[in-house]
Amino acid sequence: MSGVVLWAREVGDDWEEVRSVLTDAFLAGRSAAQAGDSFVFVVHQDDLLGRRGAGNAMVACGLLSAARTAALEGATKGWTANVVAFDEDAARSTVEAWAQRLLDSEGVTGELIRVGPGHLGKALP
Amino acid sequence: MTGAIVVTGAARGIGRAIAEAMTAGGPFTVVGVDIAPELALSEHITPVETDLTTVDGPRLVRETVEDIGLPLIGLVNNAGITRDARLVNMTDQEFSDVLDVNLGAAYRLSTELAPMMDDGSAIVNIASRAYLGNFGQFNYSMSKGGLVGMTRALALSLAPRVRVNAVAPGLISSEMSLGIPEEIRERMIDAIPLEKMGTPAEVANTVWWLLTPLSSYITGEVIVVGGGRSLS
Repeated sequence: MSGVVLWAREVGDDWEEVRSVLTDAFLAGRSAAQAGDSFVFVVHQDDLLGRRGAGNAMVACGLLSAARTAALEGATKGWTANVVAFDEDAARSTVEAWAQRLLDSEGVTGELIRVGPGHLGKALP
Repeated sequence: MTGAIVVTGAARGIGRAIAEAMTAGGPFTVVGVDIAPELALSEHITPVETDLTTVDGPRLVRETVEDIGLPLIGLVNNAGITRDARLVNMTDQEFSDVLDVNLGAAYRLSTELAPMMDDGSAIVNIASRAYLGNFGQFNYSMSKGGLVGMTRALALSLAPRVRVNAVAPGLISSEMSLGIPEEIRERMIDAIPLEKMGTPAEVANTVWWLLTPLSSYITGEVIVVGGGRSLS
């Protein structure tokens, strides 16, 4: 199934950088939705917990919330929105495979898939 | 515990209720950014009119706090706007306006004020239950999710000196919610286990608690004030 996978760029604690990444995600998500395509945002697991600075945390958590909202809107239109969060040690190929799996799946939307055990014992985002 | 507390978006609704709770509940001076004119008459409130989306806005707030001469013990990032539309129809302007006010301004002000915050002080960010997702609010939920991320990161980087938490209100009786068509609003209330909209004062009470030592071992958390709606 066609779709868009957007990896969140790493940013510093600079608002303009954060704004740029979130705007890119908005534009990519809107284009996908308008075409009836699904999309997946890929973020670093540590950023969902704010462990790599405020900039990266604003991006990762912002994308997760946006994907949840998009999932509600796509639910009746046949497209999905999901998020994959990866640990530092996760292989890129594994992350890519999960993203593709989410694009290919039916009925799975608004989900967060964590690749790696780094989230265990920590807060749920 | 005396000092100054900065509250943004204090002209109405939740922000106004927070400013009122702060001045009624203790010997605080509230620095109100965009404060209601009648509240600005209070001797306990110092109004600041500025645009926090600009570089100069947060600096003006910092200078005002410095002029007061009291320790800065609290910051409430409350200012927020909505520009709702389905993602497929959302304009670039609708997206950026919401992001800049709800997230960019809060981040700029927090980074401006955090270095001068007193030991034992607290930041409370007013997020929204929409950070869990809400139809027609891609921009708003992204901004509020970003605010949750900022809360977690600052909770780590400012500990142990400053605690940082977020409050996520659900359906609250305010100008914004009263603008929702009655039929839709009633359906929304039907989905709330506590069977009513919340009040701005109920949110303010939670914010008050998070600002004071009553919550001294809590940081990096999001407290949903939503009548149980997240479960129904």
